[in-house]
Amino acid sequence: MSRLELPAIDATRAGLVLFVASIAFLYSPIFIRPPSGTFVFLELAVLFLLYALILIGLNLQFGHTGLVNFGPVAFFAVGGYAAAILTANDPYRAVGLGFAWPVGLVAGVLAAVALGVLLGFSTLKLRDDFLAIVTLAVAEIIHGLTITFRDITGGSIGLQNVPRPIADMTGGGGGAELFATIVVLGSVCLLAYGVFHRLSASPYGRVLRAIRADEQVTETLGKRVFRYKLVVFIYGAAIGGLAGALLVFYNGAASASFFTIDVTVIVWIGMLIGGAGSDRGVLGGLALIMGFQLLTRFFNDLLPFVTQDQFASIRLVLVGLLLMLVVKYRPEGIWGTAEELEVES
Amino acid sequence: MTLLAVDSLHRSFGSLVAVDDVSFEIEPGEVVGMIGPNGAGKTTTFNCVSGVLDSDAGTVTFDGEDVTNVPAYELARNGLVRTFQQTRELSTMTVEANVLLPTPAHPGERAWHAITRSEASQQREREAREQAMELLDVFDIRSKADEYAGTLSGGQRKLLELARALMLDPTMLMLDEPFAGVNPTLTTELVAHLESLNDDGLTLLIIEHELETLTDLVDRLIVLTDGRVLASGTPAEVTSNEEVIDAYLGN
Repeated sequence: MSRLELPAIDATRAGLVLFVASIAFLYSPIFIRPPSGTFVFLELAVLFLLYALILIGLNLQFGHTGLVNFGPVAFFAVGGYAAAILTANDPYRAVGLGFAWPVGLVAGVLAAVALGVLLGFSTLKLRDDFLAIVTLAVAEIIHGLTITFRDITGGSIGLQNVPRPIADMTGGGGGAELFATIVVLGSVCLLAYGVFHRLSASPYGRVLRAIRADEQVTETLGKRVFRYKLVVFIYGAAIGGLAGALLVFYNGAASASFFTIDVTVIVWIGMLIGGAGSDRGVLGGLALIMGFQLLTRFFNDLLPFVTQDQFASIRLVLVGLLLMLVVKYRPEGIWGTAEELEVES
Repeated sequence: MTLLAVDSLHRSFGSLVAVDDVSFEIEPGEVVGMIGPNGAGKTTTFNCVSGVLDSDAGTVTFDGEDVTNVPAYELARNGLVRTFQQTRELSTMTVEANVLLPTPAHPGERAWHAITRSEASQQREREAREQAMELLDVFDIRSKADEYAGTLSGGQRKLLELARALMLDPTMLMLDEPFAGVNPTLTTELVAHLESLNDDGLTLLIIEHELETLTDLVDRLIVLTDGRVLASGTPAEVTSNEEVIDAYLGN
């Protein structure tokens, strides 16, 4: 059993302080323009922080409560599109209502919550595997809808002219807005991690882990199992929706290509490699898998005779291989606890 | 006043009638055994009474209140706690966490208290931990507090389950085959624990196959066959009842 070391400071407090500081940084005339050679890393870091938000919710759902949500991208997409449709100004062949971005942010979270309530109420009373099937199907249906309802969503071209609040508030140009985005998202992420970690480390989290272990026993020991499952599912939906809204405000656009099953695959693999149920471990796992993808991208440059498309497929094989190795030799994940996950390692 | 009254309980699964008109009453402070051959409907009766299964017809009254088909968590909070036939320790959690889990009215189990780490939550957790440690002491598994429950021996799991149920401070415990697969030494120990709990006022309803263990422990026996109550009375009365001998002890 190995664990990442405990930080000396509380993540929730640090996240709050950093968040306030990052907002002050946005309003200040100060900006930091990173060298252009680092952009590829910084862009990946933004994506990492957004996926980390989804994963923080997913880990509460699956890692702690045992809810198999195979469609986290659905909430990410619904949050993103709700935010984009409400705030876009004159998008090309799509609906844009032109509201201010805070409206879109709130709407993105609420839309994802609404989907969470709907799915939760309809499936969480059924056997465990129904949730897995339903979430996977719903994610694919939503992806299909975003492509076919092109008069609303812009189809595969997407929805442009979405406000970019962080970029607008940052002077300096170049990579300055990229840096500011990382500062803001980083603090949001730290705060979310802190809050969800407090949940999982408390008596609340104990009830969740009991539900994962044995629902019926938990119920006969006086806990309202269904309500916990529903609420946890909704928390995960909300933070996924938030991540989606933040993505479109970072990109200034929403497009079906941002919200593919790849998102689900990456956060799930990150969680399994890091160790489901370990709040810090899953984020480490996500960093590993995204770092691995970056590394293989550089590797691609060394092999000019392999096209990028071909290499994307090879990368998927390599990711699969990595997952197989972890499942075979360390089923609890790198930072997970075998006894808590009931696996033999 | 009668503590638990079960009246004309019915439950079927498709065409199979598992519980067919079961009625019985249990007085406060009693120790009652429920016996019967396999498939007599003992566990289904337990499940219907404890809210794990909904019954098709009939009423269950506990402590003066109609609790028919009340969800299991509510019954547990109101003092009617049950265990399962197979030990169902939460093996992926520590022994201590197993015992702390049932802590009633714990503010820390609400999200806001958990996130703010409220004083009320921490206070309740301290009290609960104290109570849990006392219980683990009583059942002699305190040294295992930090181990995962999955590492306990079969007997220790039974003790853990009992300790865990007691965290709810129940008025009545329903035990489904508590002595199944338990060695004679531990059976004696368990019986001693149950007797001492009963001395403190806990009412017990126990399903069991092993008649020998039960006859010493219980005040009264209820015999079930084919989903019906065949006989009820003191162990001596029941074991000399012709019908019971035919149906259960017989041949």
